[in-house]
Order: sequence, then C-alpha cells, then structure tokens
Amino acid sequence: MKFQIPIGPQHPALKEPISLRMTVEGEIIRDADLRLGYNHRGLEKLAEQKTWIQNIYLTERICGICSHSHTTCYVQGVEKLMELEPPRRGLYIRTLVAELERVHSHLLWLGVAGHEAGFDSFFMYTWRDREIVMDILETISGNRVHYGINTIGGVRRDLDEQQVKHILDSLAILRQRSEYYQHLGTNEPSFVARLAGVGYLSREDAIALCAVGPTLRASGVPMDVRKDDPYAVYAEVPFEVCTADTCDVLGRTVVRIKELFQCYNIIEYLLKNLPSGPVAVRAPRRAKPNEVVSRYEAPRGENIHYIKSNGTDKPERLKVRAPTLGNYAATLKMLKNGFIADVPLIFAAIDPCICCAERAVSLVDARSGQEKIISMNALKQLSRQVAAGNARKREAEWPL
Amino acid sequence: MKIGAFIPELLRHLFKKPATVDYPFQKLEVPRDFRGSPFLRPELCIVCRACERDCPAEAIEITATNEAEKRFRMVIHNDRCIHCAQCVDSCPTDAMQMDTRFEISDYDRHNLKMEWEYIRAVVKPKSEPKTS
Ligand code: SF4
Ligand code: SF4
Repeated sequence: MKFQIPIGPQHPALKEPISLRMTVEGEIIRDADLRLGYNHRGLEKLAEQKTWIQNIYLTERICGICSHSHTTCYVQGVEKLMELEPPRRGLYIRTLVAELERVHSHLLWLGVAGHEAGFDSFFMYTWRDREIVMDILETISGNRVHYGINTIGGVRRDLDEQQVKHILDSLAILRQRSEYYQHLGTNEPSFVARLAGVGYLSREDAIALCAVGPTLRASGVPMDVRKDDPYAVYAEVPFEVCTADTCDVLGRTVVRIKELFQCYNIIEYLLKNLPSGPVAVRAPRRAKPNEVVSRYEAPRGENIHYIKSNGTDKPERLKVRAPTLGNYAATLKMLKNGFIADVPLIFAAIDPCICCAERAVSLVDARSGQEKIISMNALKQLSRQVAAGNARKREAEWPL
Repeated sequence: MKIGAFIPELLRHLFKKPATVDYPFQKLEVPRDFRGSPFLRPELCIVCRACERDCPAEAIEITATNEAEKRFRMVIHNDRCIHCAQCVDSCPTDAMQMDTRFEISDYDRHNLKMEWEYIRAVVKPKSEPKTS
C-alpha cells in the first residue's frame, strides 16, 4: 500500500521553508516531491529600492549562519561594478571572517548531526565549543551573528595585535577539540553506524543534479569555488579541497570535519601573513551601467549573486542563488529508496537545519485520503528506534 | 572499535563548572567595540544627513524645527535600528556613536525612541562624509 507524506511547508527555523511530499511503501520512500516558495520575502525586489551601501545589510539578512557569505558575494560583485580594488589587508580580514564563519557553521552542523543521530551530548559539546569561535567573531566585528564587517571597497574594522593573539590562542583550543571529535567519530560505533550508508548519492548523480558544497564533495567530486575560481586572497593561501568517497551522510560529516582542520590552517596562515596598510578604499555612490555575476564558496556550497546596475545609486536587479537551493534536487534523489526515519538525518546532512524545531508530519493514505498527524518528536523517536533495532553495522568504518 | 568512547569525557564533565553563566545575576562583559545602540552627541552634529541617508533601516529621522535658528531635531527609532553602526561609519564628525548596552528590550516600542533637539554645530568635518 502506498502512502503520501507531506512535510512542511511552514518551519520557522528554515531559511527556505519547503513542502516535501513523499510517497511511501511501508517504511520505504518510493518517491519524493518538493514545493518551494512558502517564505518568499521579496528581498530581491526590496534590494532594488535600497542604495548599494544599505543593501550590504539587507543581503546579510538572507541567512543567519552564512551572513558573511552573502555580503561578501554581494560586495565582491559591487566592487567589480565600481571597478574598485580593495586593499590587501582588507581582503585578508574578509577572508579571515569567512573562514571563521565556516568553522562556526561546520561546528553547528556537527552538533545538529549528532542530535539527529540521537547523540545529544555530542550536540551540546560541539555547540559549547562553537561559542569560542562566536566570541572571536564578536571581538572582531562587534556582533555575534550579523558581523557587518564588509563594506564596499574593503572591510569596516581593523585587527590589532591583541585580537590576533586572542584568535590564535582560541584556535589552539578549537583545534584540540576538533581532534577529539574526530577521534570520537572513529571510536563511537553507534554514531558511525547511524550515519553510514544513509542518503546515498552517487558521483554521477551528484554531478547530474548539480549538488554543491560538502554534499557534492562527499560524493567524491573535488569542486570548490575557492580553488576553481579563487576570489579574495584564496589564490595565495595554501589549502586542500576535502572530499570523501562514501557518498553518504557519513561522508558529508567527514568532509566537514576535514574542512574544519583546513579552516584552522587557513586562519593561521592569514593571521601570520597579515599585510599592513589600510583596510578599505572609498567607494563611489553610483555604479556605471553593467552587470556582474559573483561566486562564493559558502559553508554549504556555492553561492551566486547576479547584480545589474543602471548608473544610479541603487541596483537595477539583484538575484541570489543560495547553496541550499542547489542541493534540493540531489536531496530528493537521496531520499528515494531510503527510510522515513532517515528523513531528518538526510535533510540535516545538506545543512538546511530543517529538523531543529517541532513540526507536524501528516501521513496520507493515498487511496482513502485518510490522514494521520505525527509530530517531529514522534518521527525522531521512530528514527532512534530504527537505529536501535538495526543490527549494528559493525563493519562500518570511520574513513578518516 | 570500543563501545562508549564518550564516557570518560562525560564523567570528566560531572566535576566541571557549567559552561553558561548565571544570567541575569552574572553578566558577561561585551567586547570593546560591541555594537549596542547608536546615540548622538549633538554638540558635534553638522546636520549633513549622511547617517539618515545611509541607515539601512530608515531608523534615523532629522527634521528642522526652526530654520532661522538652525534648530534641528533628530529621532533615532531604536525599535527599527538593526545595530549595524553604518551611521557611525558615515558620520564625518564622530557625532554618531555606539554604546555597549544590550539589555534594551521594553514593553512599548515607543519607549525605545531617542530624541535630541539641538542647534547645528559648526565643526570642521574630519573627512568628507565618507560615502558621498
Ligand atoms: S545602527 Fe544602523 S540601523 Fe541603527 S540607526 Fe545606525 S545605521 Fe540605522
Ligand atoms: S552624519 Fe553625523 S554630522 Fe551628519 S547628520 Fe548624522 S550625526 Fe550629524
């Protein structure tokens, strides 16, 4: 017997609320369908009524976690339109904040993955350690979430010696903690067994469906805008693109943990090689008529902004393609032939944080139209039962 | 592989201090350049309106109360302010500054409004209004 399960659409914690409709046979998902557009904020239209400067703070509010990603993407585009060359120290600080943001986003994600896998103490410890990087960001920019460090033509605040030292000291703690989490991953069999083999996405599918970010890299495709189309100072910073070839949620976890260590290396390099000089140049108020596409590797994947100017102090058009959108098609593929109980995990693995709040899921009998509402908690309970009931995948190995 | 790899860490934490502080009895210190709420130092304001123009939230309102006396009124609608400090960056004379308060909630949004009435200052701007 086939059932249809709708999930969503309203979910306050989501950046992009979606409605998922899944056709299930027993516990197995046979088909999944996605509907978008439930939380249209009119942001792109609003951007047309604000000046270039005001739009920095608007694009920052596209996302709470990758706020710096969106402003950098936007500001880079505008700088190209205005033919501005930001000073090198400014670019270094911009990159530094970008990498700190990646650290905080990946630590947050690790916690969420632990939570979804029923490993709540892991969730609390990673989130406690995430506070360290949040504090660094707060000392640099004056705010924990919306850093507002970017301005057109550079950054708004400079770093002093004391801050550099503070960051390096905190980094040592973070590195030590991340090593511990990596060690834990290798040694905690229930955690690895819960993640291994869930949400399989083959390399071919990942490419065909245009997956981005860690989701793509976990399927063995070494694509990273920072390497392929370097912006800011990534061309001169040594780092590696992290991949995994298990193509499942475990692989996505591994990619993110490996990226954490890359981030620490990048941050250290940036701080040790910080050039001196000004952090920003003065920007004109108007931009000549032109258009530009700006790419940025956000923690979740490739972020694209298209900006068109018409000679005034406001953009004529701003189009934003956030990374989560790029991953939706791949998510549907991952859901197919998986278990209902794995939905929270698979969704969490592309990092849209779909599961962090209470939400109702209704099961619809396709033939009789009969509906049954189950809460997210019950769904999670189910997820844990399946995990507990499974014979442990003892052969599952941590591939790091 | 060993079962319960996390247990030593869990046990260690039984004897540690909690990671959180006992707010509101104990408060964390905010960093030096924390972005609290903007405030005006009227003796420095030359009414160039750069802050009003650049504020992304349209939280600043400058009106002339008496043109002849060069008397102006500035209202900062703190209920709209997004605490971005762009006004501080735009101000050519340092008349706009940020404080470090963060406990600014109120039962009535109108109480969040801040108002100054002043005569336009005659100070030389340190720089041109940065974004003009
Ligand atoms: S801090 Fe930002 S939002 Fe608040 S008044 Fe200043 S410019 Fe406007
Ligand atoms: S930018 Fe400064 S000087 Fe100009 S109106 Fe605002 S507070 Fe006054």
